[in-house]
Amino acid sequence: MQDVFQPLINGILLGGIYAAVGVGLSMIFGIVRMVNLAHGDLMILSSYIMLATCGILGINPYTSLIVALPVMFGLGYGIQKYILNRVLGAGMEPPLIVAFGLSIILQNTLLLIFSPDARSLQTSLSIKSIDLTQTVSIPVIYLVGFVFGVGTVSILQLFFRSTFLGRAIRAASDDEMAAQYMGINTQTIFAVAMGIAMMTAAIAGMLIGTTFTFFPHTGPQYLIIAFGVVIIGGAGSMIGTLAGGLILGIAQLMGAYFLGSGYQLLAGYVILIIVLAIRPQGLFGKAGRAA
Amino acid sequence: MAKQEGLRNVKTKKPWRWWIGLLILGLLLSIPGWASQYTILVFTLFGLYLALAQMWNLLAGYTGLISLGQQIFIGVGAYTLAVMTLYFNWPIWLSILAGGVICAGLALLLSIPLFRMSGVYFAIGSWIVAETLMIWFSNWAYTKKGMGLFIKAAYTVSINQVYYASITMGVFSIALVYVLLKTKLGLALMAMRDDVGAAEGVGINSFMAKLWCFLIASFVTGITAGILYLNQVFVQPYSAFGIEWTVRLCFIVIIGGIGTIEGPIIGALIFVLLQQYLAEYASISLILLGSISVVVMLAFPKGLVGTIQDRLGFEMLSPRRS
Repeated sequence: MQDVFQPLINGILLGGIYAAVGVGLSMIFGIVRMVNLAHGDLMILSSYIMLATCGILGINPYTSLIVALPVMFGLGYGIQKYILNRVLGAGMEPPLIVAFGLSIILQNTLLLIFSPDARSLQTSLSIKSIDLTQTVSIPVIYLVGFVFGVGTVSILQLFFRSTFLGRAIRAASDDEMAAQYMGINTQTIFAVAMGIAMMTAAIAGMLIGTTFTFFPHTGPQYLIIAFGVVIIGGAGSMIGTLAGGLILGIAQLMGAYFLGSGYQLLAGYVILIIVLAIRPQGLFGKAGRAA
Repeated sequence: MAKQEGLRNVKTKKPWRWWIGLLILGLLLSIPGWASQYTILVFTLFGLYLALAQMWNLLAGYTGLISLGQQIFIGVGAYTLAVMTLYFNWPIWLSILAGGVICAGLALLLSIPLFRMSGVYFAIGSWIVAETLMIWFSNWAYTKKGMGLFIKAAYTVSINQVYYASITMGVFSIALVYVLLKTKLGLALMAMRDDVGAAEGVGINSFMAKLWCFLIASFVTGITAGILYLNQVFVQPYSAFGIEWTVRLCFIVIIGGIGTIEGPIIGALIFVLLQQYLAEYASISLILLGSISVVVMLAFPKGLVGTIQDRLGFEMLSPRRS
């Protein structure tokens, strides 16, 4: 019975990382009412940006955020402003398909530049762990991931609550027309929101890179995890994102513990399909939003 | 504007359209007689992708069900063929048919959770089901886990047989969608596409209409997948249940024109030719596919066929009733 605590602790910590993976998708889903199918690949792109930055400047992955955050913000702003905004409002298919196209372009460009080899962001933390008892220990890299995940979600929650820009973003999301009357340029607001979502993608990319290995085609795998977080938590809800991450993380590692490691992902997916079927708006989502 | 032109078009029905159709059909049927093996293979792929894309178009373009999980039925169709021929010694064509039947049954089962979702949630839900099946099959000892199965029986059919089967599926899928749209179900679909509320108000059961389309599409996709895997010979969970299938279908339909019958035909032709020309540069060809679909979506959201129809008011296969 003792050793069930280990997967439980790992599951909770993994949940924090998953919250960071899902929060950007959730934001865009809630604010722009669009599913960014390229979100997973953009996370992996930032992992590669950090890999390159660390290689060139010889700094550690955490410091390389200084480069990755502004680059990803700019990229997100540009993609939304010049590509995705142009296909909004004509139904759900066009943005879905454009983002799908971007995802394919990103994956294969990364493949061309970086080859299909598995990579990881090296830190000295990855082998350290804190022993709690004889058999249970906390892997430090997971703990760092958890702190970053919870931190990202908390900062965003604060941002949406108490800054002018955050409120403007929420206003543009609640009623686009009314926000425009109040002098808010919703097109720019959406671009800024995507920029911020891409900054969370940079953080998620760092956590993925330091905790696991990644290769050019890893994106969709994390996109599905992000979906899972959004579906369980409900689109646009920051608290829901955190809860969604935790539920998914725990479900996966418990699934692996009870059924065998081959079924880790399966356990997560089954939870997802159940939640989707019973409560499609998510456990924390408002009914009738973001259809 | 476009609608009025369409109506005018119906009045001046031109019989020569049927002659063009028959001419193309005759040409396709004669290909094994004069063309090289390579050409036959390219057109085999054309027929198969046409059938798969036509079914994705039926869902996405007419029913509003954006499925990112068509690979569910491709994988299940392929695995049924492999299991039936390998383990039960069933004849090939019967096994392929069984694949279609199993896919339709699976679709019926999946519709219980999936049809509770709509829009984006349906898209994501269907994709997650496909990923779940991929993991299931890669852990299932019965189908040799991640190793996959070798479809030995595929060597007993000739290239020409596979070619005719694929062209049959391609032509059949066009005819199926054409006839389907002319029936009451088709009218219901188009009414739903224009305004779901109004359609339900006049007594259309939108749930049943969608369900029928979903079942038909999965049946045809399952059979087409069987024929496709006669070509591939080897079925393996990561490729059979991969999202790449839906990427290709999406590309074909978007380029050609979503919600048109002719769109997938043009799209499939472009796709197959592009794929052949760029076969040596796999990642460049995918970058190109992605870029083309983004550009088409931005500049011509209705695709090639939709744009031409709008400009010229001309439709080869009009689902409208005269």
